[in-house]
Amino acid sequence: MSAQDGQDGQERELAGDDPEERDPGLGRERTSLAWTRTAISFAALGGTVLKVNVITGLVILAIAPVVWQLGRVTRGSTPEAGLPAPALPTVGATRLFIIAVSIAVVALLCLIVALLGSSAPGALR
Amino acid sequence: MSWSSRLAALLPATVARDAGGTEPDPRFTFANERTFLAWSRTALALVVAGLGIVQLLPPFPGVPVGRHLLGVPLIALGAVLAVVAYAEWVRNQRALRRGEPLPQSFMPWILAAAIAGMALISAVVLLVSALR
Repeated sequence: MSAQDGQDGQERELAGDDPEERDPGLGRERTSLAWTRTAISFAALGGTVLKVNVITGLVILAIAPVVWQLGRVTRGSTPEAGLPAPALPTVGATRLFIIAVSIAVVALLCLIVALLGSSAPGALR
Repeated sequence: MSWSSRLAALLPATVARDAGGTEPDPRFTFANERTFLAWSRTALALVVAGLGIVQLLPPFPGVPVGRHLLGVPLIALGAVLAVVAYAEWVRNQRALRRGEPLPQSFMPWILAAAIAGMALISAVVLLVSALR
């Protein structure tokens, strides 16, 4: 270990950068990644619907950044040097309620598109 | 408990008011949230699969409603899973806050039954299509 590393390590400790203390079980990190995957799933669904119905596809695609933004609440801020690590956020039900309602609405839209939209048979042939 | 009061108990304002107990270990809170998100992605995957079957697959010869028979239940199941996943998140979070044992989850049972049912319908549609 070089002198540079030692100095960095000391700074990290000052910033409360002990991973277990700042983010127990890396829960915040893993949850943040789960939100990102969910946002990508919305985008993937939007991309598929885009092939069938452009307006509905764009509506679903527009939900993806909103989901990603909702996930940012979980991420919290990086602690500043010398300050104690920020408290872990209290998870509100509103964000998850929005996701559940969004999926139900998206499913309804897809049902309408599936029943009334003109199909493109053989696109997956 | 009527259905309307059950649904009203799931509204975020009601959930926050009735939470009770104390804030649990953040690891458990995050794990509960990730479980909800994983079910949400499963729901989205079901919706995209259903839409793909109805809109993009070639029609089954001899079974004109075959694609709808397979796709529409998948899309509906996606909507149901999303709502049930939220309800389970609320129940789990409440149990965690009160230090009670986690309630039994019905979601794996719902998903397993639905997948088995869909597999059965798929087999019937394919057989009928092949025999005609």
